[in-house]
Amino acid sequence: MKEYNIEILKDAAHRLLFDMPTEQYETLLKEFDVIIAQMKVLGENPLIDQYEPMVFPFECKTSYLREDIPGEPLDREEALKNAHNKTGGQIKLPKVVI
Amino acid sequence: MNYRNLSINELHELLVKKEVTPLELAKEAIRLAKEDKNNAFEYIMEKEALEIASKLTVPEANNPLWGIPFVIKDNFSTKDVPTTASSNILSGYVPLYDATVMTKLLEAHAVPIGKTTLDELAMGGTGTTGHLGTTFNPHDKSHTRYVGGSSCGSAAATAAGIVPFALGSDTGDSTRKPASFAGLVGFKPTWSRISRFGLFPFTPSLDTVGIFSRNVKDSAYVLNVLAGRDEKDSTSSTKPVEDYTSLVGKSIKGLRIGVVKEILDTLKDKNAIDAFNKSLEGFKEKGAIVNYVHIPTEILSSLLPTYFVLSCAEATSNNACLDGIKYGPYYDGKTYEEVMMNARTKGFSELIKRRFVFGSYALMSENKNELFIRAQKNRRRIVEAVNKAFEECDVIYTPAAPSVAPKFTDSSDRLSDEYLIADNHLVLGNFAGLPSITVPIALINELPYGANLMTKAFEEKELFMFASVLEDISGLKNLVAKEDK
Repeated sequence: MKEYNIEILKDAAHRLLFDMPTEQYETLLKEFDVIIAQMKVLGENPLIDQYEPMVFPFECKTSYLREDIPGEPLDREEALKNAHNKTGGQIKLPKVVI
Repeated sequence: MNYRNLSINELHELLVKKEVTPLELAKEAIRLAKEDKNNAFEYIMEKEALEIASKLTVPEANNPLWGIPFVIKDNFSTKDVPTTASSNILSGYVPLYDATVMTKLLEAHAVPIGKTTLDELAMGGTGTTGHLGTTFNPHDKSHTRYVGGSSCGSAAATAAGIVPFALGSDTGDSTRKPASFAGLVGFKPTWSRISRFGLFPFTPSLDTVGIFSRNVKDSAYVLNVLAGRDEKDSTSSTKPVEDYTSLVGKSIKGLRIGVVKEILDTLKDKNAIDAFNKSLEGFKEKGAIVNYVHIPTEILSSLLPTYFVLSCAEATSNNACLDGIKYGPYYDGKTYEEVMMNARTKGFSELIKRRFVFGSYALMSENKNELFIRAQKNRRRIVEAVNKAFEECDVIYTPAAPSVAPKFTDSSDRLSDEYLIADNHLVLGNFAGLPSITVPIALINELPYGANLMTKAFEEKELFMFASVLEDISGLKNLVAKEDK
């Protein structure tokens, strides 16, 4: 397992596109200690690997396609309603290519 | 007339006899919502509710929800009504569509009164982490006790008698634990029984819609409307919908109640133990057979870390869309990454960020096998243990919480069995996807305390039958907190 320390946690937070004050990383580090220790104890149980990972509690597959029902799409004004920064009918962001 | 303590059925009779109108009920619920002192509301839908209620003029005798006011947790999309999931990252967001459960309730002519507070993004169990601050327990006028979460506002509004039922959501115990603290019936269905279209995803492999009410039959009425396949949710079940009220009040003579010995053994509070044991005697008097069934303590102790890993990992991924660009407050930056960084840094609280970082760590390629996949394997082991317990019983019966609602100043040993098991075992129902319901069983020093029942998948009818008998044993039906002065 990858080692964890404040720098690793900061890197993970930055990849998730947010930051936290240093003291919050310290709190997080303590939480990591507890959970990682509990998960390691679990890993020491040789029976665990006999089980297949469970994603959903039971099979609930949809094996057909929905009927196509014609309908009105969102108009542009509606689609942009919740965006704060927009121009010319599009969401405006800082330039990607400078 | 005071409508605060009336059930759906009682209100329905008054509505059909035209002794009250939907508009009068809506006005009264809005008045109570405005006077709410428990921080239950994100948004009161006054204009919307009055408009809907004023159109309801011809009573529908066969529709128990006609004209009945309700509230809905603010993590359900509601068209043209602000929806924040109690997070600053969504401040000002107004959805363009209704969640399927909202559509169904509107089609049943129930009347939405407001959107309720929650722990931010439904991640939490205290009712203290939403962006509007702490939601209080209506049964504790000193405002020193938790109401529980994450569906804190829905629990508080129902317990205060503002509405007879409310929708919450339940990923770990977010409907069933607050129900215990607030003296309510709190129900989660079989995973896939109710559509989740329009419910903000937290941990989709565990998430369900939840229902709060003040008696068992009312929850069954609401499930009758909400259950069923939804083409907008490919995980919703195609299994036929039943009449979930049909076994309410029926005899449970000869049926087997399974008490998980290892869970009961972690309960330390004497009043809670006495209340639970008294209810067991009640079940015996009703002709049920009480069997002690077993789920190994070692498996029960692994519930919380397993839940933590799975929920954080799924939540990290599901909330990546909250970027401050398409919706939510916009913060300027030189690049689009900086815009997102600013929005997410300011928009999420500390708790949420910590959970996301842990989830991201659990999904890193170097860690995935030892954390995320191991948790998924352990989930299967847990579910097999639950299914094995069902070989010896028809329903699993446990205390819903270690005690009555704790005080904000109380602390617990996070590594103790009482915390790991007694306080967190309700997640068994989410891991296994089973229907589960909390019912009040005692008032301890005037504070409610509940117990939980769980049946096999899609046995909601049977679950309501057991729950109605428990309600009969305790005599605690239609509990409402005393009015604020």
